[in-house]
Amino acid sequence: MDFFSAQFLFFVQTLLFASVIFMHLSKKSASVIFLYQVQSLIVACLLLGSALAESAIFPLFVAVVVCAVKVVIAPHFFRRLTRELQLKFSASTYLSGPLTLIILAALTAFTYSHFFAPLSTLNASNARALLLAAAMMLAALFLIVNRKGALSQMIGILSLENAIVAFAFLSGLEQSPALELGVLFDILMWIIIATVFASMVYRQFGSLDVTAMNSLKEE
Amino acid sequence: MFTAVSAQSSFFLALLFLGLGSLGSACLWKKDAAANWWGNLCAITASVFGLLSAIRVLLGGAAFSLAADSPLGALSFSFTVDKLSAFFIFVISLIALPASIYGLGYVKHYYGRYSPGVLGFFYNLFLAGLFLVVSADNALFFLTVWEIMSLASYFLVIFEHREPDNISAGTRYFIMTHAGTACIILAFLVLYRFTGSFEFDVIRENFAAVPAYAKNIVFLLTLAGFGTKAGIIPLHIWLPSAHPAAPTHVSALMSGVMIKTGIYMFIRILIDFSPGAPLWWGIAVLLIGAASSLFGVLYALTEHDIKKLLAYHSIENIGIILLGLGSALVFWAAGAESLAMLGLIAALFHTLNHAVFKALLFLGAGSVISQTRTRNMEEYGGLIRTMPYTAALFLTGSLAISALPPFNGFASEWLTFQSLFSGFGSFGRSVAGVFALSAGALAFTGGLAAACFVKAFGATFLARPRSVEAARSRESAPSMVLGMGVLALLTLVIGIFSGVVSRVLSVVVADRPGFSTVPVPVSVPAASLSLGSGFAAMSLPLVFVSLAAVSALVAFLTYLATAGRRVKIGRTWDCGTDLTPRMEITATGFSRSLISIFRGILKPSKQTTIEYRDADSRFFPQTRSVKLEIKDVYSAYFYRPVERLTMALAAQIKKIQCGNVNAYIVYLFAALIALLVWAVI
Repeated sequence: MDFFSAQFLFFVQTLLFASVIFMHLSKKSASVIFLYQVQSLIVACLLLGSALAESAIFPLFVAVVVCAVKVVIAPHFFRRLTRELQLKFSASTYLSGPLTLIILAALTAFTYSHFFAPLSTLNASNARALLLAAAMMLAALFLIVNRKGALSQMIGILSLENAIVAFAFLSGLEQSPALELGVLFDILMWIIIATVFASMVYRQFGSLDVTAMNSLKEE
Repeated sequence: MFTAVSAQSSFFLALLFLGLGSLGSACLWKKDAAANWWGNLCAITASVFGLLSAIRVLLGGAAFSLAADSPLGALSFSFTVDKLSAFFIFVISLIALPASIYGLGYVKHYYGRYSPGVLGFFYNLFLAGLFLVVSADNALFFLTVWEIMSLASYFLVIFEHREPDNISAGTRYFIMTHAGTACIILAFLVLYRFTGSFEFDVIRENFAAVPAYAKNIVFLLTLAGFGTKAGIIPLHIWLPSAHPAAPTHVSALMSGVMIKTGIYMFIRILIDFSPGAPLWWGIAVLLIGAASSLFGVLYALTEHDIKKLLAYHSIENIGIILLGLGSALVFWAAGAESLAMLGLIAALFHTLNHAVFKALLFLGAGSVISQTRTRNMEEYGGLIRTMPYTAALFLTGSLAISALPPFNGFASEWLTFQSLFSGFGSFGRSVAGVFALSAGALAFTGGLAAACFVKAFGATFLARPRSVEAARSRESAPSMVLGMGVLALLTLVIGIFSGVVSRVLSVVVADRPGFSTVPVPVSVPAASLSLGSGFAAMSLPLVFVSLAAVSALVAFLTYLATAGRRVKIGRTWDCGTDLTPRMEITATGFSRSLISIFRGILKPSKQTTIEYRDADSRFFPQTRSVKLEIKDVYSAYFYRPVERLTMALAAQIKKIQCGNVNAYIVYLFAALIALLVWAVI
């Protein structure tokens, strides 16, 4: 059996997409972090499988680093943040649950419309999975828009990054391992800075709800 | 020595000296006197080389070009000095030479207060920008040097940066000049879209391929972009504040030369690039010219700031130049090439003349200001006794700008009149009406300009001093008098030899595409100026000789009649009250009756304040003051509403910046979706 058959990849992409949907529905910070961990693990496994199939050392190393950064280090930082700041619930949203789901359905339908047809030509055999990856990107972006908590927004950004990696993998637009390592380093730095910054914001405002930071606006 | 140097070498030597002047002045910024001498001497040398280069090309020499590619693709360092460029280089150099001589003396009063090194740096850079603007042959290179010229002049406007008014004037100039530059960039982009090149030669060759609607867009953008620099109404609002703010010799260059770069580009684009332009282009230029000349002089009448008065007269004279250019465009559209040539000669002639007499008047005003420390004419008076040379030279400039024979202003306005009269007799009712309106505006302008300079000269030099500074004033430094003297002589020489100058200008016009085979409309029989068609003729040498003879005769007769008499000096009967300067008619008082005639346009407001000796009695006033103010109708009815609309829109747009991160991401999200949809559609 072909390990990276179109059907298998579509299944994997469905899992990734589902993880973002569940993030939208999840109310607890711990659940959102766990979903991100699962999502990152799936992405790392995809990269690992690809590296093993090609028997290439450097991509294998990249996959291991991806796993370390996204599956171990990032969730660790986020959990420590929630512990320190007592952020059990950080799932305050602008839109209600049903409305959120309606918009997600509309976004997914939009990605399967003719507007996104040019994207599916990047890799015709994975067309359905590619469009789902695009839907995942929009859903992750919508997560950032809809959530008021900074933690959820940070995880939304990282999910968007996972969606882009998945899209690149499915379309065959993977970059050189050196470049991927560079991007990973950027992500790691961003996570560290963002968590430190979130702590400082919390100390200043007593909340990670971005609507509480409106007073920063210049009058 | 100079005959050994070619036109091309002279041109590049001029640029070299300007570069040396600029860098040297910057290096000497701590040594006031050395920086002043270095900066102005380099400018003087560059002007001499500029004159040599231009004269060689104008008197039969071939045009020269130089092109060097740059690593930035479409940008190439392309120069071409054809006869039109040479004419403008001649005008720039002709004014820069006396202005720089004048600067040697004038800049001294900045010692210890402002840095002459900084002034020399920007002054030479500004001159280099002027030279390059009229010789650039590539649109991108042109825009680069246009920006150098604009920025250098901006820094010269705010040179006396401790004066808050100067900063305000500079800001206004900066905004307006860049709004104009935006229009110019758009015009070149439209041309690039249809001709595929930024090279002027390629644009010229392929202009026929530009669709009519795009040509009209280019015309409107050209009018707005270069019209802003030229100071046409209603885009002139920067000019009356910026020109007076700069050091006087820079004001002379800005008013006499810089605004003419707008005229230069009008001719390049509307005549050179687009032969056979539609009739309405010419009509539009004529109407704008008529409005600019008339309103310019009306606003000048209301001014008592001597430099602002001169700045408003620049708007008036740009209007007169546009009357010549507009008539040329109309004639060309109608296929009357010879008359079009006449209109263009008139426009170029007035370009030269205005540069000369306006520079002279600005330098004269600067001499007065350097002595009295004020620009307010109400505080002058009686300066003819303390500054006789300046008074005589200012009077010469006043006669020239008032278009009185035999000075140069008369010759070019006469040619403009002939061009307009020809149009009146050559077209149907509606177009002839525009020509009649333009001729009427020009006649009216001439009369009002004369009245304005009666006021300016009278209030400044005649009667008694109205301030302590005016009473203590001294004649200007010799270099300043020399600078003005050269220009005063030029007003007379150009006027007397206007026929010869017109012939040279006909060579410049004949060098334009489409004019090479056109019969020259002017002839010079016995040094007089005659239209080829026999429509009109005049002889300024004869006028000059007649005036000189009559003056000599009057002087001789007066001498004969009074030779045997003794001169008795006695007190004027003064009704028992001592004569004081307060009894003189002021500049405001002089213009008040004229302002009241045009109150519908000028919207004057009068505030009278009376203080009485006795609080209970109204029969014995102690003081009575009248404050006359003129409403700036352009600001009130155009710029202020535009400003209010912009601010209201900005307040609405500001709501987008709500301070919520989620909202910002929604904007990104919406933009992303919109781009996707747009890309597919």
